[in-house]
Amino acid sequence: MRGFRKYVSFARTSLEITFVYRAGFAVNMIGTIFYVVAMFYLWQTIFLGNPGALGGFTWPEMKAYLLVAFLLNSLLTWYQEWVMGEDIRQGVVAIDLARPIDFQASRFSRAIGPVPFEFTSALAVAAIVAFAFGGIALPADPARAGLFLLSAGLATMIKFGLVYCVSMAAFWTTGTEGLTVGRMAVQNIFSGALIPLVFFPDWLRAIAAVLPFQGMISTPALTYLGKLDGPTTALMLAVQAAWAVGLIVLGRLVWGRAVRVVTINGG
Amino acid sequence: MPLIEASGLTKKFRQAVKEPGLVGSLKHFFTRKYRDKLAVDHIDLSVEAGESVAYLGPNGAGKSTTIKMLTGILVPTSGRLVVDGLVPSEKRQQNARKMGVVFGQRTQLWWDIPVIESFNLARDMYEIPPKRYKENLGQFTELLGLADFMNLPAGKISLGQRMRADLCMALLHDPKLLYLDEPTIGLDIAVKDSIRKFIRGLVEERGTTIMLTTHDLGDIEDICKRIVIIDNGKIIHDGDLRALKDTYARDRVIHFQLARPPESMTPICAGLPACEIGSDGLRLSVRFDRFEHAAGEIAAAVMPYVEVVDFRIDEPEVEDLIRKVYLGQLTLSPAVEAAAMATEA
Repeated sequence: MRGFRKYVSFARTSLEITFVYRAGFAVNMIGTIFYVVAMFYLWQTIFLGNPGALGGFTWPEMKAYLLVAFLLNSLLTWYQEWVMGEDIRQGVVAIDLARPIDFQASRFSRAIGPVPFEFTSALAVAAIVAFAFGGIALPADPARAGLFLLSAGLATMIKFGLVYCVSMAAFWTTGTEGLTVGRMAVQNIFSGALIPLVFFPDWLRAIAAVLPFQGMISTPALTYLGKLDGPTTALMLAVQAAWAVGLIVLGRLVWGRAVRVVTINGG
Repeated sequence: MPLIEASGLTKKFRQAVKEPGLVGSLKHFFTRKYRDKLAVDHIDLSVEAGESVAYLGPNGAGKSTTIKMLTGILVPTSGRLVVDGLVPSEKRQQNARKMGVVFGQRTQLWWDIPVIESFNLARDMYEIPPKRYKENLGQFTELLGLADFMNLPAGKISLGQRMRADLCMALLHDPKLLYLDEPTIGLDIAVKDSIRKFIRGLVEERGTTIMLTTHDLGDIEDICKRIVIIDNGKIIHDGDLRALKDTYARDRVIHFQLARPPESMTPICAGLPACEIGSDGLRLSVRFDRFEHAAGEIAAAVMPYVEVVDFRIDEPEVEDLIRKVYLGQLTLSPAVEAAAMATEA
């Protein structure tokens, strides 16, 4: 495909920059390791008090759930989000407007460039943690693993779509840090990253069901564990895909509007 | 057909107006008031392929706004703008492929990765054929002396090196048009010279059309034949640099250092009726129109009456001229443009 190569190039460059900032990456990683280990001890204590299954989860399943959440949270780290916000705020995007590139596609390739590295590092950490805590539940069969990877891919698209839309706010506000923190708080609750959604009261679960966040952690994790039957899996994947497409389209609309405001009224 | 054609090109910005103080801030929070500012006010500009144009004006005159409209970054409020057959803000990507732009205050290089990697990214971004890329990279590396820092990240090189690398990056895809926004700002004289020489070479050998904004008059005299001055959003001069000089920078001043004070000024003044003569002890200066008199004539008229120890001549400076224009002490008349036309013809 013509014009595709430049985006591959953006992705590669972005991966290279991740290596430049390897210390920052490592510190970020260590932080999340502490977090995941803390979560493990917390849930271990809960399961020790309630032997057997809890909300339909056995302890090995819960461990797998936590590690899948950790793995997905390790993808598309804060760095790209921060860079995009800063670029908009400082007017660096003007340079992007003077280049033969599609802004969203270039930012998307920059965001997913480091994913292979983020994924393998997180996978290595997850394997060590799993080993240290006596193993986790694995996908039942290769098909299940494949479905999980598909769902994880869609989860990453949703995350990008969301982060992109939030970054666009930088056109109207002076800083995006507050918005980023807010997004992460809401996301941590409604994605099921902190607690599986099955433990939510009904009304809260109903809210979570109509938000895009469940597609970021809950859906791929439940797909991994085989908690959803065939038709439900298909439906949930379709919902994920719809959110991914919807958010990316929304991002394009917001960008178009922001650019019009900036280029017509002056920034 | 001209490469750049603008007619009645106008850019109006909406600025938020805020009264001072906390009360003003509060008021502004609830009822926003705006004021329109005309950054570019109905300008007409036509640039032929291969021309090198200096675009001058005091800070805030509308230079950068014009460049941003030409590059497609800003949408004009009204008027017509066509660059090489395209309306830049409508065909942003297509327009971008045909132009190069260098912002003196902002780099296009990636901060964290070696300079060469930024170039490789430009290769993919502009879809430059590998063979052409290699040729251009080789040539620019040599002309701009990039070899020493090619493998260093942009964040680790000096401003002069960065500027040279930025020039290279803007030119790898053989743009027809090169926009330079204050390309020599903050650079030392040696680097300035090498950059000017390089740009001159581009114009002469590649026929690249150059549009240059600068505050450094040296840039203009070295690179540009044509000079366009914008002030308060309006073009107040457009023409040949030499014609501008010939019309407004006509006076030379010759200073004589004398052995003895002159006995009388009367015969000297009588001999040079059209000149302004100043005398202060052992110093005597004569201001004269360089088209009316040769320096030799002045000397010949002065020498019989005084004993001259030494003398020097002050040439008219474009810089003084531009300063006067900026300060509003000099209004350029259409005569200059007529003179410019005549010179071009």
